[in-house]
Amino acid sequence: MENEVKKELKEKQKKISFESYGVKISIEADCDIDFNLIKNCLADSLSREFNLVENQTSDHIFYINGDNFTYSLEKNKEKIVSDVSFEFLLDTLESKVRITVAEFAVGRVFLHAGVVAIDGKAIVIPARSYHGKTSLVAALIRQGAVYYSDEYAVLDENGYVHPFPKMLSVRGIIDQYAQKDLPVEEFGAVAGTDAVPVAMVLITEYVEGAEWKPEQLSAGQGIMEILPHTIPIRNKPEFTLNVLNKVAERAIITKTMRAEAVDTALLIKSFFAKLAFKI
Amino acid sequence: MNNPQAPTARKNGLVIQEMPDEVLVYDLKTDKAHCLNQTAAFVWKNCDGKTSVSEIVLQFEKQSGTKVEEDLIWLAIDQLNERNLLETNVTSKFAGESRRSVLKKIGFASVVALPVIASLVAPTAVLAVACSGVQTADSCGTGNCNRGTPCTSCSPACGAGFACGCSGAGATCECIATAGAKTAASKKG
Repeated sequence: MENEVKKELKEKQKKISFESYGVKISIEADCDIDFNLIKNCLADSLSREFNLVENQTSDHIFYINGDNFTYSLEKNKEKIVSDVSFEFLLDTLESKVRITVAEFAVGRVFLHAGVVAIDGKAIVIPARSYHGKTSLVAALIRQGAVYYSDEYAVLDENGYVHPFPKMLSVRGIIDQYAQKDLPVEEFGAVAGTDAVPVAMVLITEYVEGAEWKPEQLSAGQGIMEILPHTIPIRNKPEFTLNVLNKVAERAIITKTMRAEAVDTALLIKSFFAKLAFKI
Repeated sequence: MNNPQAPTARKNGLVIQEMPDEVLVYDLKTDKAHCLNQTAAFVWKNCDGKTSVSEIVLQFEKQSGTKVEEDLIWLAIDQLNERNLLETNVTSKFAGESRRSVLKKIGFASVVALPVIASLVAPTAVLAVACSGVQTADSCGTGNCNRGTPCTSCSPACGAGFACGCSGAGATCECIATAGAKTAASKKG
């Protein structure tokens, strides 16, 4: 009887393996689940850097256990959530996979940041979620900047930033909290295709009525401000600090409070134009 | 009075990144990052276990071209000591004195930058994308604290504007927006 159950489970079990930014991941399930939906969701979430691979030995294994109504998720045998709906499972899986890729990406440093480029030079805006990162990026690309990302600044070993042009996740359309994914074209903008040097890192936070007073930070102070948004710092500190140092050697790191995104975007562009001859 | 101690800079278990006027040090044991300004970096680099504090003073004066009080160097050593950036603990020269009074005393007399070490704990991957210091990315993504897990283990806490709603037998964690009755479940961050 027990063997029959095990056999049945084995037959039901399904698996996909993929590689993203050099990170090898598998997702297994012991139940019938829509793997096509998962694949599409992850491919969008990882900005199409998603390559299915057969017979891969993965470093990170996600395991979905469930029946027709509720699901549980484990990562490397550690429970993440249990008894949740499929919608919630998908949200959690997407989020966990994306963070795993960002933490372990080979030869890349992922910062939680918005990125745009003007004249082939990047402006990186590190920020936590719910701190207006996307609003600022959206305002900048509406004013002509090239879109690179509203989620991650993906830095290579030379400190250049690569596009991570997933759709912009904008709040305030459905309601105050829910996000709606919009393609960059909706903003009358284009997405960057090439890696570009970082010319400016802007540390900023929305404060109602705040005055724009950019203060230039030293390289060390600047890196200390960027670190809280640096995903792989604990996993590969040496490589990460080396990359951040390369960014700091070239870029101006500045800090200021800011008011509304549209006004701030104008100020950023003007500030950037004045700096351009120095960069 | 000269202090005979000759402190030694710790080098093991650290990632050191040199910059033009600063040094960034990452402690692999504690996952803390420290940014040493020029004065603190000079003192740290000269803590070789052989050079006494009074000799470091002389070296500093030679490098900066100005006379400094030994207390300035001790202020750097104290901070290095506190952050576990020395091989062995040194006895502070300022034992019993408040940092404020020491700074006041040295600050007035000094024409060079006071030694400053800024420190922070490096975030975990999850916290680096979180809404606040206490939420996970999932809680950002869904506005909840480990939704689906039993109420006995609702952690980390929900962020500002949210409270963990848990009531009734067998209830599970969920962050509820405190302003109004809107739940943040299924909202993405």
